[in-house]
Amino acid sequence: MRIVVLMKAVPDLVEEIELTPEGNDIDREFLKFVLNEWDDQALEEALLVKEASGGEVVAVGLAGDADIDQSLYTAVAKGADSAVKVIGEATQTHERAALLAAYLRENPADLVLTGVQAPDDLDGQLAPMLAAHLGLPHVSVVVAVAVGEGAVVVRQEFAGGRSQEVSVKTPAVIGVQAARQTPRYAPISRIRQVMQSGALPEVAVAAEASGSGLRVRRMYEPEKTSHAHMLTGSADEVAEKIIELIRARGLVKG
Amino acid sequence: MSLAAVLAESVTRPVFQDIGWLGKTTFYVVSTLAILVFAWGWWRRAAKYRRGRPAGRAGVLRAGLFGRPFAGVRRREDRSSVAAVAANSSIIRRDRGTGIAHLLIFWGFLTAFMATVILTVDYDIVRHLSRLITGHEASFFHGPFFLVYTFVVDTMGVALLAGLVYMGVRRGLRRPGQLDYTRAEQPEGGYSRGRLVAGDWVFLGLLLGILVTAYLLTGLRVLSQDLPWFTVFSPFGRLVADGLAGLGMTPAAAASVHTVVWWVHAALALGFVAYIPFSKAMHILIDGVNLLAHDRSATRRLPAPAPQKAGYSEIGDFTWKELLDLDACTKCGRCHDVCPARTAGAPLSPRDLILDLRQWVDTSAGGITLLDRETRTDATGPLSPNGHSGIAGRVVSARTLWSCTTCMHCVEVCPVGIEHVPTIVQLRRRLVDEGTMDPTLQTALQNLATQGNSFGKSARMRARWTRELETPIKDARKEPVKYLWFVGDYASFDDRLKVNSQTLARILAQAGVDFGILYEDEWNAGNDVRRVGEEGLYEMLAEHNIEVMRNAQFEEIFTTDPHSLNTLRNEYPERGAAYKVWHYTELLAHLIESGAIPVRPLGYKVTYHDPCYLARYNGVVEAPRRILAALGCELVEMGRNRADTFCCGAGGGRIWMDDSFLTERPSENRIREAVQLDVDNFIVSCPKDVTMYGDAVKTTGHEDRLRVRDITLLVSEAMVGPVDPPGALVRATA
Repeated sequence: MRIVVLMKAVPDLVEEIELTPEGNDIDREFLKFVLNEWDDQALEEALLVKEASGGEVVAVGLAGDADIDQSLYTAVAKGADSAVKVIGEATQTHERAALLAAYLRENPADLVLTGVQAPDDLDGQLAPMLAAHLGLPHVSVVVAVAVGEGAVVVRQEFAGGRSQEVSVKTPAVIGVQAARQTPRYAPISRIRQVMQSGALPEVAVAAEASGSGLRVRRMYEPEKTSHAHMLTGSADEVAEKIIELIRARGLVKG
Repeated sequence: MSLAAVLAESVTRPVFQDIGWLGKTTFYVVSTLAILVFAWGWWRRAAKYRRGRPAGRAGVLRAGLFGRPFAGVRRREDRSSVAAVAANSSIIRRDRGTGIAHLLIFWGFLTAFMATVILTVDYDIVRHLSRLITGHEASFFHGPFFLVYTFVVDTMGVALLAGLVYMGVRRGLRRPGQLDYTRAEQPEGGYSRGRLVAGDWVFLGLLLGILVTAYLLTGLRVLSQDLPWFTVFSPFGRLVADGLAGLGMTPAAAASVHTVVWWVHAALALGFVAYIPFSKAMHILIDGVNLLAHDRSATRRLPAPAPQKAGYSEIGDFTWKELLDLDACTKCGRCHDVCPARTAGAPLSPRDLILDLRQWVDTSAGGITLLDRETRTDATGPLSPNGHSGIAGRVVSARTLWSCTTCMHCVEVCPVGIEHVPTIVQLRRRLVDEGTMDPTLQTALQNLATQGNSFGKSARMRARWTRELETPIKDARKEPVKYLWFVGDYASFDDRLKVNSQTLARILAQAGVDFGILYEDEWNAGNDVRRVGEEGLYEMLAEHNIEVMRNAQFEEIFTTDPHSLNTLRNEYPERGAAYKVWHYTELLAHLIESGAIPVRPLGYKVTYHDPCYLARYNGVVEAPRRILAALGCELVEMGRNRADTFCCGAGGGRIWMDDSFLTERPSENRIREAVQLDVDNFIVSCPKDVTMYGDAVKTTGHEDRLRVRDITLLVSEAMVGPVDPPGALVRATA
């Protein structure tokens, strides 16, 4: 079974993210990019599937993603059999889906796993779009994957902690919410070994033109939420102030 | 008494009195067998040590033998010497009574051994050789030589006896806690260490038995010879003879009992010889070597992983010194006693770790110990089968290995030169490679890999604490400075410590010190990353820092963080970055004493906590005390101070791991020690200590009795001149 894990580099949210002067994109010049955390979950689930039922895990990223090499090397260090970069650049999910679909058409997989969402794809479009491009079945918000005969059995999560088990015919595209265990640690020495053992192969693909019909007009900084207000004084004084606050905000009557 | 009487050949003692031809033959056969068993046992042990990797200790051994002759005799040093071994310095240093008792046994036993050797040389070599050469049996075992010999042996025997009795009473009646073999980690299937206890008593009992029968033999012989004049040179043997005579024993009766006791003595002594390599007694031969090969600096400057290996997983990964370490342990329990993990209720006891590894290695390598081993009903821990599934997480549990704070107290107190910490790190390296670790630790390591700090904050935020300073700190990457201040993660990123760092910057600016920092190019120095066992990440951090330092212009380094100090001072040089590295207390002490920082007396009553990595690892103990004295503070020492300081629990990466399972955090234990002293201030000189003890005074409910303060704040308070007190600073930035 060939399992492809799609990986995307996203801005490290611990950085101060600034907007471009035009105000319709973030300024990527000095940003540090890290692996989308849901893609890390997808990779972990793929490795667990491989450990349980065998198969081959291929990590795939876009060559245009900044700092993607680090994530792909790390994937191999963790146990992926190989990693490739698809030549191309994508700022919108539509473009990304078209490029990756082209890759998958030329290099078919039995199972495609990717993160259910990303910081810049909170509505989780990548997996369903890919499935549409390829004409494959798709399940998202998945928390476990098991391989059966000609199908995979996945557990899909709902609100309120409910979940259902779904059988999906392979090939299929799965959006992973969480792996069954915390993504494993890749020791730096092993990542360095992988880095030294060779460059990442780049694959050119013939992608269809993909217009999303969308154009970003303006981007907004996060609104500053109110800061915590520190109460000072003796315990009694502080208690008095808390009661005042609760009363003033109408939280209790009397 | 005439000289002729003294010189007479009759002034001697018969070697085989009333044993006869058959008895003598039997004795020689049994002796040969005993020596063969002894040699076979050692051959097997030596074969085991030869499976170990080279330890790079040949130079250390040479220096121990021929280098500084009195190294380690008076105070603990990195290395030892023959004199220190002979003086039992490492045993006496931390337990005078036991140490002296051991010294008596050591020399008493050595005397008895030498006495036997001399007798063998005379009786079995000189006698036979002279007969072959001259046809006449010669002997030197008579006259004045014999008198001196007999006197020395007789009195040293009493020293041996006194030592053995002391040890017996200590072990049997006084029963100090450190001799309690209860494990720190309780295996599910249960265990018994009854055979370890039996091994101790058999060892003590055998020595005592050999000694008592020896005195009895002397007494019986002297009595059977009708108390010749010269036997007063065996005063204690003579005393036994007088006693037996007093009880009404006749010389004839003495002669016949003598034969029986002679055989008992011979059986015990030969049995002991054969027993040595298979029991606790092996320490007699191993521990001197282990001490001479010991190098404390190997804990300060950790060894690299075995080539092509990520940590230890089989016997061949250990160095011969590490394998020798395992056999050297006498279960004295000093490490068990001082270990902060064990004290806190964690499953780690350095003693148990060594004993478990010893038993597993010994069994796996085909070694045999008769008694000194733990028994279990299941094949777990030290009884795990020798397989390919490794050591870390099996022979020693992962939880146990992760409990170590690398405080080095075990290495410091070990009287026989065992180096526990490097072995623990080698095993941890394996756990890191397998990814077996706390999720919080994994997050910290990932943060360190991406941003160079464990806080998961952007590397660009590292110097944010400097923004509120009136005088900007120089950028050592851009302009030359005298001192490079290596600030460290905690002093840079932790909000509670910002004030301390800012205060230090103000003091130094005020004192006219020319210093700079590396701003966002400083990364975590990697000391604790290395001790966690993430060698690759350590290399990455160190290489980055070294590269940045190489491109900066400075003369010397000072650091706020004792952990960073350790790796900068001791481990960076082998990567090509050798600088003079100071701790900020050393710098402050110098500035105060030279008058660059004028101070007024404060008059506080304080206690001072020595950070492990400063005091125990690097011997910086006086500088902070000099500062406190200069500030007119009355320093009340805690019992555990200087190199004997008690760990706060944060080291070795523990600060990134869960500590909620501990029964009492080491930091809380320490605060409870400090509140006994009736002091107002608990002074620290390590950023991590400010947070650890700041929390501990709260959780122990002593917040109103004890103020935890960095020594920097005291200096600032005492400083005469226009320096903003920290209080004003907080208001200004709020």
